[in-house]
Amino acid sequence: MTKTDKRRYLLNFAAAVLVFAVTVVMGMTGGDAMKLSIAPSIWQCSYLIIMAASLNLVLGFLGQLSLGHCGFMAVGAYTSALLSLAFERAGFYTDKSGPAFLLVLVLSVLLAGIAAAVLGLVVGIPALRLKGDYLAIITLGFGMIIVNVINNLPFCGQQGLDQGSASSALYANGLAFSNDEKMSYLWVVGVVVILCMTSMFMFVRSKYGRAIRAIRDNEIAASASGINVSYFKVITFTISAFYAGITGALYSCCNAALATTSFAFTNGSILNSVFIVVMVVVGGMGSLTGSVIAAVLLFLLNYTIKNGGWVDLLPAFLQGVFTYPMLVYSIALIIVIMFRPRGIMGSREFALCDIPKWPGQFRSYLAARRAGREDRRKEAAHHG
Amino acid sequence: MITFIQFLITGLRLGSVYALIALGYTMVYGIIKLINFAHGDFIMVGGYSLFFTIPVFMNLGLPGWLAVVPAIVICALVGMLVELLAYRPVRKTGNNLTCLITAIAMSFVLENLAQAIPAIGPDPKVPYTLFASTISIAGVSVSHATILTVAVSAVIMVALYFFTQKAKIGCAMRCVSEDKEAATLMGIDVNKAIIVTFGIGAGLAAVAALMYIAQYPKVFTTMGVTLGIYAFVAAVLGGIGSLPGAVLGGLVIGIVQSGANTYINSSMSDTFVYLILIVVLMLKPAGILGKNVGEKV
Amino acid sequence: MKKNRLLALLLALCMAFSLAACGGSGTSGDTSDGESADGAADAGDAGESGSSDASITLGMIGPLTGSLAVYGTHVQRGVELAIEEINAAGGVTLSDGTYQLAVEARDDQGDSTECVNAMNSLISEGIGLVIGSATSGCTSAITSIANSEGVVLITPSGTADTLTTEMDYVFRTCFKDSFQGELAAQYAADEGYTKVGIVYCSADTYSAGLRDAFTAACADKGLEVVAEESVATMTEVDYTNQFNKMVSAGAELVFTPFYYDVMGPYLVPQARSAGFTGVLLGADGVDNTETTIPDGADLSVYNDVMFVNHYSTELATSDISVNFVASYEAKYGETPNNFDALGYDAVYVYKAAMEAAGSADAAAVQAALANQSVTYEVATGSFSFDDTGTPIKSGVLMGYSYTEGDEAVSKIAVKVLNVA
Repeated sequence: MTKTDKRRYLLNFAAAVLVFAVTVVMGMTGGDAMKLSIAPSIWQCSYLIIMAASLNLVLGFLGQLSLGHCGFMAVGAYTSALLSLAFERAGFYTDKSGPAFLLVLVLSVLLAGIAAAVLGLVVGIPALRLKGDYLAIITLGFGMIIVNVINNLPFCGQQGLDQGSASSALYANGLAFSNDEKMSYLWVVGVVVILCMTSMFMFVRSKYGRAIRAIRDNEIAASASGINVSYFKVITFTISAFYAGITGALYSCCNAALATTSFAFTNGSILNSVFIVVMVVVGGMGSLTGSVIAAVLLFLLNYTIKNGGWVDLLPAFLQGVFTYPMLVYSIALIIVIMFRPRGIMGSREFALCDIPKWPGQFRSYLAARRAGREDRRKEAAHHG
Repeated sequence: MITFIQFLITGLRLGSVYALIALGYTMVYGIIKLINFAHGDFIMVGGYSLFFTIPVFMNLGLPGWLAVVPAIVICALVGMLVELLAYRPVRKTGNNLTCLITAIAMSFVLENLAQAIPAIGPDPKVPYTLFASTISIAGVSVSHATILTVAVSAVIMVALYFFTQKAKIGCAMRCVSEDKEAATLMGIDVNKAIIVTFGIGAGLAAVAALMYIAQYPKVFTTMGVTLGIYAFVAAVLGGIGSLPGAVLGGLVIGIVQSGANTYINSSMSDTFVYLILIVVLMLKPAGILGKNVGEKV
Repeated sequence: MKKNRLLALLLALCMAFSLAACGGSGTSGDTSDGESADGAADAGDAGESGSSDASITLGMIGPLTGSLAVYGTHVQRGVELAIEEINAAGGVTLSDGTYQLAVEARDDQGDSTECVNAMNSLISEGIGLVIGSATSGCTSAITSIANSEGVVLITPSGTADTLTTEMDYVFRTCFKDSFQGELAAQYAADEGYTKVGIVYCSADTYSAGLRDAFTAACADKGLEVVAEESVATMTEVDYTNQFNKMVSAGAELVFTPFYYDVMGPYLVPQARSAGFTGVLLGADGVDNTETTIPDGADLSVYNDVMFVNHYSTELATSDISVNFVASYEAKYGETPNNFDALGYDAVYVYKAAMEAAGSADAAAVQAALANQSVTYEVATGSFSFDDTGTPIKSGVLMGYSYTEGDEAVSKIAVKVLNVA
């Protein structure tokens, strides 16, 4: 391990601890703004972040387009909700505190991931024989099937378990945190996001990560170099599904009601299979930190279009536009894509220890631009 | 037996509409390899323009279906406008995926813009029923619209086939779909070929909208979402870029849906449609009529 | 090249903004738009400086855009109409003076997460009285917030039974599913039908909830459900196969818990062409089917389409329903549907409760609403709340009839239904 590597690890570890500490401290503070907007926003960001990053493993690092990623999230969400509900009905815990509930929470999150991963394996083995748009449509198909099947499972119905019939919504969700509980369990977000992101980074940097990037860049060359292409594809897909399952558990912590439309191919909100792809591309394919940034930015964009006070300050005709949040959101997307086609981060990663280099990089960027402009002026003068 | 015929006819009724939509879809898809999410919304545009123009034509004493002419013009214009304003600038700098995202965004833009137009609004509208009369086949009543849709799909399929094979611009379109760079080198105006494709694809969406509302008379701003997905599935199932494949794919989906409704479980019909898709793609990875092109090393 | 890109972008933006801007002000009417914007500004003031400003802002959440926009926008219209009327009549009289009403509308796009965000944001603006959301699924996501934050929530159209049972701060102005299902089964039993069928949507809370209630009530009343078919989504277009099965199973009456936009263009004509000649019995969603019958269609197929409804202007005992319909038609130029009426009622229920409490404070209003002896006279009939916060009221059986030579299908009120 070189000295810079050591510094890098230490710095990242410190940052992770800091993030965790911040969530703990924030959870202990009070105040309406904290409870009503910041804490719920952090919860929602958390599942969008992990969702986008996990799809990036498949889309950005493996180079395969999957249009059914939210299907795995649905599996995770319903698994964790039903499991915790079963424990609650069995009297294992009554209020959402204490070690018994924590145990249930950990168990639900893990099992949600595992259930989604198993399904990811089942879907991945046949699906990943195909490529490109064929793979896209087959994953879309699997996503639709998952949603359609959940709609028809009697125990996923209104009251959950055997207390209702099949329908789109699962009320009386076991995990569902109230606003106060979202505050006191804010540290859960910190822990889950840090663990997921760290393990994803480790995966991407490992020999597995190098192998799947080789597959993305040239499948035939990769297989000629002795990489078992199918094996790595399925493994990546399964791992990605595992994370999607975990985000499902976070989602069911966030929402008192589950509805399959929330995990559909497209719907009104920004959480659906299509918009997760958007987050990955906007963030930059092959950049996990890019996915994080894009997820947060797009969440904030969507959130402030609808609930931001600044909308009231706009001129009246613009306010008319803002009554159609998806219109503004889509136009913003087109603008970002036009001017930043490789995404916010491209395929680079944001690294803490690079920050000291930033002023230098910025100066050299400015210098290069100035030089370019100078050249053009000279050329014009020459022609003139 | 009656059940069987009934199921077949319902399948045809659904399938013929999907087939017609998939034809336009596969045109665009075949040429620029873009999953055009906004295609379903072109149908919405066509549906609304028909909703407004059919009564005007009827008042003028003309047959209502002639309203499809302005609808084709409007749809083609919208299609070309979308290509000019959104897809072309993005295609210049981006890759397939950035185009895909633009398409997704365009689809939302069109849906929301439609709702913003006061005359349209969020309420569903019910257009005039065309071709309402029915005939009876083996004791089962079939609407004229169903038969017409099948016929129109066949005619359009054949016409498009000859257009792409014989017409100069049609050949250019095929050329672009094969290899964009080579086409440029051969002196083909790629942008022109693409914009013509969008015009034709969107114009076909207007025809599809006419046949769709003749059988299922309701237009609403988000009607394109499901239709677009089914068209996508139909195009892929039949083999991307293959015109007969698109028709076949559409019919297969309609019949599978109807069959699942009749013989298995009606609320699970989506599952069976996608299962068929998956099974077909497993057996024939390039779709039913698609050519399996080997990969160049 | 860069210039082209910019130009294209600019053009697109201009087009989008001009269209949306003209649409935005056009759809919701010029006067109400201005007012609601003012109301929003007032809301912030009222929240911070107490009620020195003579205005009370109600919150409203519903799907205003997206695929469910039709429900939310109609609730909003009803709410705005009611507020306009109340303000024109002098406002709400509380113990410390009279107040004008205003509404702050939020869009949940039919998604529960967005609904939670909207609810939280309304609460953080200091709004204590909320109307919403239009669907049971979204409403169920915010009932616990209403309860824990002490904010009153009246859902105009969330019909799922469990929405109000455990939550003291949650009320509704519509029927609950089990009540409507029971009324429907009661009608079927009264008319002497023995073999009934059901066609419903398994993925929709409203449809599936009604189907559950109807099935349970049928078992009680000795009706035999001979066939039951479902569709996968509420956007399904073809119901022919389902009705073929109804015919072959020999169903005399089919229960169809769908909305009017499915009944008019799709379900009824297809059911008839599949050879089903019996009664199609729906719930309150079927009201307004007359607006979705295609021109040029065979109108005789709409005979024997019956539905359970909240109110009928013909059988109404008070003028309120009639006046509501008249003023709605005057303002918007079309007939109101149930979402309009229920949203309208929610405002009047709030007004009555605020005046009874003498205060717009959420806890006081909740206490007033929880008083089960109060009877509310509103557009959808007169009712009082039961111990869960659901109206106890009677239903009306309505139907459509067409006789040869008529220009249009007419809506008829058959009788008032009560649970036996």
